[in-house]
Amino acid sequence: MPAAEGDEALAAAFAAHEGWAFGEAYRRFGALLYSAAYNVLGNADDAQDCLADAVARLWRSRGAYSTSRGNLRSFLVVCVRNEAISRRRRQVRIMRLEERLAALPVEHEQLRESDPIDRDRVRRALLALPREQRTALELAYYEGKTHSEIAAELHEPLGTIKGRIKNGLRKLGAALESTAGIERDRW
Amino acid sequence: MYEHVEDRAALYALGALSDDERAAIDAHLRECSACAKEVAAAEDDVALIVSSEPQRTPPAALDARIDRLVQTRTVAALGRSRRPAWPYAAAMAAALLLGLLPSAYFWSQNRTMHGAMLAQSNAMGRLASAPHETAHFRTTSASPPAEVMYALDGSWYVVVVRSASKPLAVAWMHDGNRTMLGKAVPAGNVAMLYLPRSHRMDRLALMDGDRVVAVATLSWQHAVPNPAGPAPGNPS
Repeated sequence: MPAAEGDEALAAAFAAHEGWAFGEAYRRFGALLYSAAYNVLGNADDAQDCLADAVARLWRSRGAYSTSRGNLRSFLVVCVRNEAISRRRRQVRIMRLEERLAALPVEHEQLRESDPIDRDRVRRALLALPREQRTALELAYYEGKTHSEIAAELHEPLGTIKGRIKNGLRKLGAALESTAGIERDRW
Repeated sequence: MYEHVEDRAALYALGALSDDERAAIDAHLRECSACAKEVAAAEDDVALIVSSEPQRTPPAALDARIDRLVQTRTVAALGRSRRPAWPYAAAMAAALLLGLLPSAYFWSQNRTMHGAMLAQSNAMGRLASAPHETAHFRTTSASPPAEVMYALDGSWYVVVVRSASKPLAVAWMHDGNRTMLGKAVPAGNVAMLYLPRSHRMDRLALMDGDRVVAVATLSWQHAVPNPAGPAPGNPS
């Protein structure tokens, strides 16, 4: 993806921990970052808390980003998503505990936020993947499971799951980039 | 020393690692540029997936919360703001007072000129109203005379290059590193760059492309505390 005007200067300032760069990064990528959190957590309140916590964490940890870490936008998306996934795992743990205490069955599905119509483009790209790669990737991306949990759930060795996720992500990224190119060409 | 990331780059980018595993990789990435590159490629793929999903507008309350969090005091002249921001209005008012309004014609046509105008009006306002120090750049015979004026608390810097015929980049030299701060762009025969900052910088360089053409050493013997406090980890 080509860098937008000023992206390199912003990334350098962000790496140097310049206060204004944090504000400017939020202004440029706020909608994307908020969406990343919302799509994992499924509600506005949690998404706001998650994004604010992620920014605060980056602000406290000087050196978390350097220009050698690559594209600032991608780095921030992953930071926010990881924060959201950690938050969701905590919620699941709390919910499981509460449910166990209440002697109710665990209902993982209620935490899944999905909007199949809006996610058509990603879904189409996912469907084009080999089934094994798709399953592993879906469990990681949509359900926020760790590779150990996925390996246990699918009864496969860890190394196999790592390979499927790695190859699946590469193919999915390439497919989305290619469809994005087609849509840009249409304009 | 942590092990290399290898085939865990995709897992890291997808959030498919435990918190402990992720923290270990975070630490490793600070030291290993090869692994950072691997992870960056996987992060690009994940960002592409996220940007292909439905996008939502953050609530205004979150905007305010983030602003408070990072104590953003300025809007960078880089890129667009999603909201009208007061510094632009203030810059226009200052431009009027300083007789720069004719240059406003270029605003809509030339982003570089826009940046130069904004820098000039902000800089003039600071120089007229706040106590400051001046340091001269040590220049070669081939480079134009230049100086940097800076607030005693390190909250702003103005770089002025006289008889400038082309834009020169300004960089902060620190800890063996060089951080690019922006470009001093000629408007008339003077190039100026206004730099709002929250910390003190000891050495600045003027650069023509990749070549350092002048260096200024800033003294802080008359420094006063910065009301906002020094930036974390920066010298004060």
